[in-house]
This record gives sequence, C-alpha cells and structure tokens, in this order.
Amino acid sequence: MMLGRYYIDYKSVLPKVVAGALVVLLAVFPVITTNMVTLSILISSGIWAIAVMGFTLVLRTGQFSMGQAAFMAIGGYVSAILTVKLGIPYWPSFLAAGVVSGLIALVIGVIMLSAGGIYFSIITIAFGEIVRIVALNWEAVTRGAAGILTRPPAPITIGNFEINFATSVVPYYYFMFLLVIMAGLVFRQIDRTRIGGTFRGVAANPMLSEHLGVHLMKYRVIAFTVAGVFTGLAGAYYVTFLSVITPLMFDLWKSIQIMMMSIVGGISSIVGGALIGATVLYTLGTYLSRLPIYNIQYLLFGAAVVLVLLFLPKGTGLVDLWGKFWHKVFREPEEYEMPEESEMAVE
Amino acid sequence: MKKWYNITAISVVMVIVLGMFAMACAPKAAPPQPTGPITINIGLPMPLSGSASPWGLIPTPFREAWFEVFNKEGFKIGDQTYNIKLIQVDDQNTAEGGAAAAKQLIFGDNCKFIAGHWGWNFSAVAAVTNPAKVIFVTRNGSPDAFPVSWPGAYDPKTMPYVVFGTPSQEEFTFDCLALVDAFPNYKRLGLLDSTVGKGGGGWTKVQNTLDQAGVRWQSEWFTPGTTDFAPIITRFDEGGCDIVFVAGWIGEYMAFLKQRWEMGHKDMKVACSGPFVSMAMYKAVVGADAFEGAIGAYYAPWELKKTKVDPKYIAQCQEALTIAAEKTGKPYAYTGEIAWLPSHVLILVQAMQKAGTVDDPDAIMKAIRGGTFDTTVGKWTMSGAQTYGSPVVFGTAAPMCIIQGGKEVYLSEHPMEPLP
Amino acid sequence: MPPAGIWIDGLVQSCIYMTMAFGMVLVFSILGILNWAHGQFYMLGAFVVYYAITAAGIPFPVSLLISGVVVGGLGMLVEKFVIERLSVPGYGMLYVTVATLALVFFFEGAAGMAFGLMDKGLATVLPGVLDLGSFSVSYQKIAVIIFTLVIMAAMYVVLNRTKVGLAIRAAAQEPVAASLYGISVKRVSLIVMGIGCALAAMAGSIMAPVYSVNPFMGRIPMIMSLLAIVIGGLGSLTGAIVGGIILGLLNSVIAYKISYFSEVALFVLVILVLLIRPQGLFGAPQK
Repeated sequence: MMLGRYYIDYKSVLPKVVAGALVVLLAVFPVITTNMVTLSILISSGIWAIAVMGFTLVLRTGQFSMGQAAFMAIGGYVSAILTVKLGIPYWPSFLAAGVVSGLIALVIGVIMLSAGGIYFSIITIAFGEIVRIVALNWEAVTRGAAGILTRPPAPITIGNFEINFATSVVPYYYFMFLLVIMAGLVFRQIDRTRIGGTFRGVAANPMLSEHLGVHLMKYRVIAFTVAGVFTGLAGAYYVTFLSVITPLMFDLWKSIQIMMMSIVGGISSIVGGALIGATVLYTLGTYLSRLPIYNIQYLLFGAAVVLVLLFLPKGTGLVDLWGKFWHKVFREPEEYEMPEESEMAVE
Repeated sequence: MKKWYNITAISVVMVIVLGMFAMACAPKAAPPQPTGPITINIGLPMPLSGSASPWGLIPTPFREAWFEVFNKEGFKIGDQTYNIKLIQVDDQNTAEGGAAAAKQLIFGDNCKFIAGHWGWNFSAVAAVTNPAKVIFVTRNGSPDAFPVSWPGAYDPKTMPYVVFGTPSQEEFTFDCLALVDAFPNYKRLGLLDSTVGKGGGGWTKVQNTLDQAGVRWQSEWFTPGTTDFAPIITRFDEGGCDIVFVAGWIGEYMAFLKQRWEMGHKDMKVACSGPFVSMAMYKAVVGADAFEGAIGAYYAPWELKKTKVDPKYIAQCQEALTIAAEKTGKPYAYTGEIAWLPSHVLILVQAMQKAGTVDDPDAIMKAIRGGTFDTTVGKWTMSGAQTYGSPVVFGTAAPMCIIQGGKEVYLSEHPMEPLP
Repeated sequence: MPPAGIWIDGLVQSCIYMTMAFGMVLVFSILGILNWAHGQFYMLGAFVVYYAITAAGIPFPVSLLISGVVVGGLGMLVEKFVIERLSVPGYGMLYVTVATLALVFFFEGAAGMAFGLMDKGLATVLPGVLDLGSFSVSYQKIAVIIFTLVIMAAMYVVLNRTKVGLAIRAAAQEPVAASLYGISVKRVSLIVMGIGCALAAMAGSIMAPVYSVNPFMGRIPMIMSLLAIVIGGLGSLTGAIVGGIILGLLNSVIAYKISYFSEVALFVLVILVLLIRPQGLFGAPQK
C-alpha cells in the first residue's frame, strides 16, 4: 500500500492499529459509560491480569507457582495495616506493599526454588496455605477472620481538579489502567531483553541452558521476585478497591484461578495472554454468578475452561487466536491452499 | 473475496459478544410506578451459592410468604400505603461478596434499605451502605461492634446508618445462660467455635460475661472444614464438660453430635447456636439415637414464656408458615427466620412511621435511636449507647429447645437484656 | 499419651488418606499428572452409594462395589476425552493440570445441581457402637478399617499376581521398553485411571455413613492425600501407604495436643520434607 512516497506494510501495521484503537477505547471507556458494574468488572480484570502476568513470567522459567494469591494477600495486608493501623497515607503504603512482597518473594524464592518441578509447586501450595493460616490466626496484627476495612486513598487535588476515590469508581479505573500499562511494559521489557530470552531458553531446555553457563537459579529467583513485587502491588490495590481484606479472600482457589487465567489466555504472550485470560474468565465468572440457578455457575465455569482448552489447538491459548485471525485475514488464498489431490498422490 | 468475508464474520461475532456483555452489565430498569401502594425495595445479601447456601435458600419460601402477608395491609404514613419488596442477592458468604452484593442492591436495584445476617460480613457491607446513606439493619454486628483499638471497625461517627441486631457474641452469651438455667447441676460448659469466629475480641466479651455470671467454661476452636472432631471431643471430655455449645455451622454441629455419641460420651449434651434448619437432615446425618437430646435455638414466638409477643404478629407468622408449606409442598417447620428478618422490617417500618417519611435516612435513624418497637419477638427499646458508642442495638430473646421423641420441645429461655 | 480413642480415630483417617493417596500415585506413575479432581471422585462415590441405598435399597457392600465401578468408569471417560487430548509433549502437564482443576468446579457444580447442597446422611447404615470399656468405636469406623485392609490386599494381588498388574508396573517403570514389549501404554493409562478413581470412589463410599455427604466433601481429602504423597514420595506406592498412615495419625494426635494449629504443623512438615528430602520417604531421588 502506497501512501505518497512511503510504503506502509499494512500487514504489520493494521493489527497494531486495531490494538491501539482498543487501548484508546478502553482509555475513554468511563466517558462512554459510568455503569459501575461494568467498570468494576474491568477494574478487577485488570488487577487479576497483573497477577497473571507474574505467574506467566515465573512459568517461563519452567516453574509452576500455585501460591501467587498469597502475594496478593501479603501486599493487601501490608497496605491495609500501614494505612489503617499506622495512619500512613495510601500511596507510600502501596509502594511499601510491593517492596515487602518482593522481599518475601526473594527470600522464599531462594529457599523454595532449590527444589524443582513439581516439588516447587507443592511448596507454593503449602506457602499459600501458611500465609492464609497466619493471617487467620495472628489476630493482633490482622484481626483474624474479621479482616481489616481499608479506606480509599485521600483525594488528590491538581489545580482545580480533584480526583476523589471515595465518591466514584472512575479514579480506580484510571489508576488500574496506568498500573496495568506500567506492569505490562515492565514484563514485556523483561521478556525482550536478554533475561527474557534466557528465560525462554531455560524453559525450553534447562539442561542445555545449564551447560551453556546459564545460572538457572539466578534467573528463576529474579522472575519470582519481580512477579512477587507486582502481585503484591496488585493485591494492595485490590483490597482498597474492595474496601476490605480478609484471610479467605486470597486462598488456594484464587491461586488456581490465576493459573487458569494464564493458561487459558495463553502463555506465548505474557501481557496479552494475561489480559485476555483474566478478562475473559473474570467476566465469565461474574456473568455466571448472576444466573438465578445457583450451582450452575461452577458447572458452566469448569465446563467452559475445559472446552476452551480442548478446542484450542494444542499448546496455545486465546491470545494466539489474535495472531491466527490476522494471519487468516491477510493470507492470499492462492498462496497457501494445498490442493487435496497432491496429498493423495503422496499416499 | 475470502478475507473480507472473514473480517465481516468475525466483526459480527465480536459485536454480538460485546452486545451481550453490555447487556449483562447494564443496570436493570427501574420498575414502573404502580398506582396505589408505593413499593419500597429492601435488599438482602445472603449466601445463595456455595457451602453455606442452605441458610439462604431454605428460608426463601418463608420470607416471600411473610412479605405476602405483610403487604396485604402494608403500612401507612399519612394517607399513603406502602408495600415492601424483598430482593435477595448472593453474597457468596464472603466479605467481598457482601460488598459487591450491597453495591448491586443499592445501585442496580434501588434498594432503600439493606438487611443483613452475618457478623463477619457486616463491615464490608457497611463500608458500602454508609457512604450511600442507605440504612443497614444487620442481625449480627460483632465483633466489629465492639469499640476496639482498631480504627476501621464499627465507628458510630463514620457509620451513622447502621442498626445492630443481636451481635453474635451477645446471642451466644444468652444462649449459654439459658442452657445453664435449664441444667443447674451442670459440671462444665464447653464452648466450641471455628477459628473464623475468633478474631476481633468478641469471644473475650462472652467469656467475661460468663465469668461474671459464675459460669464454668472451657473454650475450643476448630479449623473451618473439619469433619473429624474426635480430638476436640476428647479434650472437652478430659476437661469435664457435660454440655457443649457449638457456635458453628450446621455441618460441624451434626458431626460433633454424631461423633460424641459414637465415642461413648452419650451423656454429653450438645447445643447449637441456631435453630434446626431441617429435622429430616439432622436425623439422616446424625442418626435418631444421637439426635435425641440435641439442643438448639427456638424462635416460635407462640411458645415463648418469659417474653410477650403481640398476637397479631403470631398470627402473621403462622399464616406465612402455612403459605410457605403450600409453596414447598411439605410442612414448613423452620422458624429461625422469624427472629430477625420480620422483626428488622417491623422496626424499620415503625421508625418510618414515627419519622413520617420513607426518604430521609437521618430522620429515620433519629426515630430508631432510643425508640421502643413492637416486633415478632417482643417489645424492645433501643439501647447500646455505652457498650457500642451507638444507641442503636436491639436484641432477641434467647430461647432453647431440646429434641425429645424426634420433636422440638421448649427447654428454657433467657430474656435479652438491652445492653447499656 | 493420647487416649486410645485418638489412636483409633487417627487410624481411621489414615485408612482414607492411604486409599486416596494410593489411587493418586497409581495415576501419577502412569500418566505423569496429579489428578486434582481426585477428591471429586471421592465425593461422587459417596453420592452413588447414598442414592443406591436410599433410592434403590441396594445393600451397602453391593452399593460400594457399584460406586467403584460407576465412578471408575467415569474416570476412564475423563481420561479418554479430556486428559488424553490435552497431553501435549513438552507442556503436557500444564494443560492437563488446568483441566483437572476446572473439573473440580465442574463436578462440584454438577453435584450441587443434581443432588442439592444440604448435607445428606447415611447414619442408618451399620449403626451402633462397639463398647470397649473406656471408649467405644462405631461399627462404621470399624468397617472403614476392614475395608482398607481388604482393598490393599486386593491391590497387592492385582499388581503383583495378575497380567494387568504386570503391565501396569512395567509401564510405570519403563514406558518405552514396555511398549516395545507390546504393552499399549494408552490402554494401561485408561485402566489405571479407572482403578485410581474407583479407589477414590470407594473411599468416599465407605466414609459416607461416618460423616455426611455433600458436594464439597472432596476438597479436603484431596489436599490430605496430596500431603500424604509428598511425605511418602511421589512415585511410590509403598510411600503412599506409609505417608497416609503417618499423616492420619499425626493429624489426630497433633489436633488433640494443640487443637487447631495442627493445620499449620502439617503444612510446615510438608515444606520441611520438600526442602530436606524432596523425594519423600520412599521416592526415587530426582535430579
């Protein structure tokens, strides 16, 4: 396609333009609708997507963490305790939550990642359960099962314009948007740099990578820590949005949910897969919970996930459909169709 | 051209999917205004799915029937008659589910009031209802009701639109006192609750009150989901407990009842903190032998001896039970709902009548504070100024029944003393 | 020293964990995956027995066998139509794991819809207690112990004395060599899945009268059998048995001593095992 003197390769530009249009649409979404329920769904999906990105990154290093929700709990509790009990303003607490989560991930990661494969997964389950039990029983700090009521961040005044979290959901939406973009950029950057390439290599063939001098543990720990930081931030933000944190909010089943969102979304793309997986599954879950026939929710949810997995081509997730869509749109019919007769001829 | 065909097809599909999504998320349209009585919506977040859903689902026929009976007359302010519509939303028995349910009820279903049930759900729901100036009448407020050193718990200054029902711990206290009344020669009272009920200092208050009353007790905790109570039963037995009060869910109570019998502790009486939801279920799970002598809460207002209930309400409740029985096609025996939901609603209604308005939450709250209300479980004056820093607490009589011959038989009753 | 009642109680718990763990290890050693829906087959087995007894009046021992066959068959269907199709070389475990987890939701929802959420009881099956002086044991619990002994004996016979058992053991140890000898690993997988799920179902059935039957009863046995496997060693059948015994007894004794902290103690124990000796007591050391 010629545009003046410049040749624009529409095949690579068009998908990006469409993606960009979607991003713009999402950015102005609160202007189109102030429906609180829709915005809440999008906000929650975005937050879970961040946790899912962390999971996928760790997965890229060949490790299967079933305790990511525990980091959301840690981040949530840290920010809740700091803001509510110690009176520290929200944004420093939010960052502190990420830091504490990251530190814990670092320490736990160094200890736990030395076991391998499935052992690591089981340890993460145990870790998640221990976090939940501690939160439930350490009443002096966490108020036990009663949980902690969180407060919205204080209003921010910029000139004449006030951003008030207490009166509307829209500020939450925009901040989530920023957070997702930031997280997405970080994860994507890690993916593209040498570290990311190394991760892919480690995941594909750990033994070869080790022989090539790659120090496995180091990269696994880095991935786990980065995931811990962002998952902690996501948790800290989520509990403010929900106005409460209880020990039961981030249990094993939420970790499992994160895992499902990652795999269904697709692990080939950390950011895209996480966003699609989180949004689709979270929306599906919420939509199903409106159905008047209770119990059918669990049934349909489980069935939907299994069916999606069965019908996707082996080894891919929903995000790969995006690539396939454009591939199908752009291919010239004459180039790729193999006439059936030639296959028969080979027989 | 094949690729345009593809693009069009996929775009159409996407539009349809997005449309469905938008429709699912769109708020429901407000119902058209009927001529005649004006309908007021009261929202009720309840567990309607998951493992606690029997609490939400089983009483639904009774609730609907009671409002049917109530709406025959409705209530009047001046010349205008009002009817009440009850809207239930699933709260999944979690704090965040409760907050989400409250948001749906207030913003999606235009509920003027929210009624609630569990203590541990209370704070999350209150965090939504108070900024929206929606009065939240909740059955249990504890442990958040206690003035604690934790900011963020119940604070009458930031939560002016909350009305408390019997906080769980107060109800447990009066249940225990009723038990001790019924068995004055008891040796020791065992107290059993799940660790979920442990936080916030609520049980400390119960235990202090029991100490003051001179009750000998021993306290144990179980993890939610426990099915095997042998270790705990043994601990109670070694502590010399001959009555055990289980403040937990139905499943755990049934398991405890059955296992203590099988382990040979047949003379250990076991009481539960709620009414018997379904006698058939208990008999099937526990066994008729072990079920004899089980003790539970008992809310049939026509049986209360120390508390006087207006005959008008007794008749209403009995009519509602009959309608519920017709709806379900079998006798409806569960009277547990009568203690709270109808009596909450009556308090709200009488407060609105006193304030002369349905629209002004501040006026209605003013009418509630310190007012006297006539409900399905007797006449009460709102109190609680000292204990909670808020003058809005009311109580429920604590009656107990015992299973004899497979039937609920009145055992004893401890009238609720309004809290200072 | 905990009283006899606690030891017996622990023994009963051990029996169930043992049976479940055994089934899980069988499936793991052939299919290479942990079946997270294992607890759901436990639950379904209990429901089958419940309806067989209350709706059809079939006596308990026969109902037990029926539940094993029915749910075992269901397990085979799941294997054929879900697990097999999702086993991708390389990332195989990933998709299958997510699928089995999704099946947890599916089965719980299906059971909730089909059977209702209220607890159902079978207290009338094998009622009564055996009085042993200072404590008594219910006949239902004695039945559990007897059942476990019988089942373990049966498994021993099947695995060591029959052709099918030989094929299973061969496929577990050396899949490639076994297929060279004409053993279809696919068929063995199917059979093993059937056996594993049947074991879970029968465990659920024999426990149905002891506690109660509801759609969520499978979650905790699943986690417990997972912990038992870790202690005993992931690939080892003996490990499953020993791990089950240790876990069951420990659980009861610790709960008796320190009440609700037993949860933490068990998880900490498992973490220690995984860090110090990941292969458990009987597993083969992995690289």
